[in-house]
Amino acid sequence: MQTAESGAGQPPLLEARGLSKRYGATQALDSLDLAIEPGEVYCLLGPNGAGKTTTINLFLGFVPPSGGQALVSGMDVSTHDRETKRRLAYIPEQVMLYRNLSGLENLEYFAALGGKGSLGRERLADILVEAGLERDAVDRRVSEYSKGMRQKVGIAIAMAKEADALLLDEPTSGLDPKASNEFSALIERLRNDGVAVLMATHDLFRAKETGTRVGIMRYGSLVTELGTDEIGHADLERVYLEHMHD
Amino acid sequence: MIRHSIRHIVRKEFTDVLRDGRFRWCSVLVGALLLVSLGHGWVQAREAQREHAAAQATARDHWESQGEKNPHSAAHYGIYAFKPRLALSFVDEGVDPYTGTSVWLEAHRQNDFLLRPAQDATSAQRVGALTAAQVLQHLVPLLIILLTFGALAGERERGTLRQLLATGVGRRDLALGKALGIAGALGLLLVPAAAVGAAALVVGSPGPAASPVARAAVLAVVYLVYFAAFVALSLAVSAWARSTRTALVILLGVWVVNGLVAPRVAVDLSKWMHPTPSALEFAQTVEREMATGTEDIIPPDRDALAERLMAQYGVERVEDLPINDVGAYLQESEEFGNRIFDRNYGALWDTFERQGVVHELVAVAAPLLAVRALSMGLAGTDVEQHRHFASAAETYRRDLMRRMNGDLTENSRSGDFSYQAGAELWESTPPLRYDAPTLGWVLGNRFLSLVVLGGWLAGTILIAAARVRRAEVA
Repeated sequence: MQTAESGAGQPPLLEARGLSKRYGATQALDSLDLAIEPGEVYCLLGPNGAGKTTTINLFLGFVPPSGGQALVSGMDVSTHDRETKRRLAYIPEQVMLYRNLSGLENLEYFAALGGKGSLGRERLADILVEAGLERDAVDRRVSEYSKGMRQKVGIAIAMAKEADALLLDEPTSGLDPKASNEFSALIERLRNDGVAVLMATHDLFRAKETGTRVGIMRYGSLVTELGTDEIGHADLERVYLEHMHD
Repeated sequence: MIRHSIRHIVRKEFTDVLRDGRFRWCSVLVGALLLVSLGHGWVQAREAQREHAAAQATARDHWESQGEKNPHSAAHYGIYAFKPRLALSFVDEGVDPYTGTSVWLEAHRQNDFLLRPAQDATSAQRVGALTAAQVLQHLVPLLIILLTFGALAGERERGTLRQLLATGVGRRDLALGKALGIAGALGLLLVPAAAVGAAALVVGSPGPAASPVARAAVLAVVYLVYFAAFVALSLAVSAWARSTRTALVILLGVWVVNGLVAPRVAVDLSKWMHPTPSALEFAQTVEREMATGTEDIIPPDRDALAERLMAQYGVERVEDLPINDVGAYLQESEEFGNRIFDRNYGALWDTFERQGVVHELVAVAAPLLAVRALSMGLAGTDVEQHRHFASAAETYRRDLMRRMNGDLTENSRSGDFSYQAGAELWESTPPLRYDAPTLGWVLGNRFLSLVVLGGWLAGTILIAAARVRRAEVA
């Protein structure tokens, strides 16, 4: 097992070391280095094509890296596919579910595959409600759900997994402000529980609200990194726009 | 033991498929066709067997009660032999509608089989006749394709594949779970049909067969292997294709090639490689050779035979022979004819068998041909088992003629045209007893198809495993 020691003696929950990905002539990600410790929420900001989703795909092992390593708890994703995925939860921009199953059945299925098959239906229904779904919606078929409701099931799937690290790809895209706020509160809770979060987003406001650190990406490279407690909303927007207009 | 995650995938797939209205409608349709074709085939086979048994008894009765006559007249009077419908013929009627099921056994001739339903069928009947074997060979694979084409391509297209794989579930487990879930849903369709088939076999088997239960079990395994190969192939294509539409188009193409193109190609290719004469050409050849003989097969010479017999019995005149030389000549003529028949029919049967081998080889490109050969073989309705019965009937005919000619030879004198035998002779002639080939004989004949079908299953599983391993997530 490949490990990387952090300051506290434990490897970071999520770590990229010179992580690169090339698709033909396109350098989608260029030597990314970052480390995310338990209780940190790292927001990757950047325009489309900056390499945010590629970074998440590399941590999930969906694409092989062209160079470098993606590590989860010190284990290389390329060589420890199952072990690393057991420690990760993932919420995509659009949570897609099985239309013929209810929200609860979807959650049961994903939770079971994620190794949480022992959670009873009562507990899973509670998790759905904690994720913001109305109690009377949990047994309805997903074909009747709005995008926001599906997204909440996605959050519940991540919560049920009780993963060490959470990968979020534009998770609040398309959510109404109330749902977005509920989502932020949820991330706050997970952070307090020691979960490491890597969130790709376009949403500067949400990044400032929920993140502990923000990395700005452009053309596959991390161009700057900021602590959210160091700057205000306006400063973040200014820094972001500066880098986008170089 | 099935892994925990696979069990969950199986359960989810099963539930998902059952709640899918398309599956419900398709399975109701295919299930109804399967049950109706099984029931219809069973009733038809039972009716045919009953009619054959009655006709055979009547033919025997006519033979025994034909009255006093010259044994050679009795040989021309002849008797019908009816090919028994074997127990599983209600599942697959095979070549029976084309080859016929009864033959008239008479002196000097090896007749063609009669009672060919295909000859008498109206054009509507030809199109509409659907057997259980056809449903199993054509429609069930189509249902499998419709259930499976989106198994992985659909997950990818919807975006659920990313979420699934992010849970940590292995791709192989996912594919296996999906295959088993779909198999479970198909089981809802096939298990009742198999139960109906088994009940039909046990309650009222249409006809005899060597080890019908073992044949039925092997037949079930053959079809399960065929379906499993289709599931694996569909999963492989679904894992490889970029979209569900592409997967569906490719799989429908495979279905068309398997069910429509390959059988046609096999027929044309086998005829081209191993041509057979037309019925008219064949009959003319036999007639010509019967009249003139061939280089190796010389027609009997009645005068030479008489000379031999007179020398053998030490007499000067045919009239002084203690036997009837006409009977001996008739038997020599029979034996001459038998050699001509063996030469021509043997060559024809051998050509049919070589054509069958071509069909089995084309199965490398289309598993339907292997399944069809095995299905007909196990149902007892393939060309080889037709030949098996035809040989038994011909052996019986030759024995019958030998008895008639022997009686004429031994019990009358040359020049005595008044001799007549009676019921004692007719009754002393045993009826045709036919033992259908054993299961081992059938499987030995169909070894190539077994290998090809097994190869299809192994090959499609390997391809599916490789494609699933490399399937792109997005």
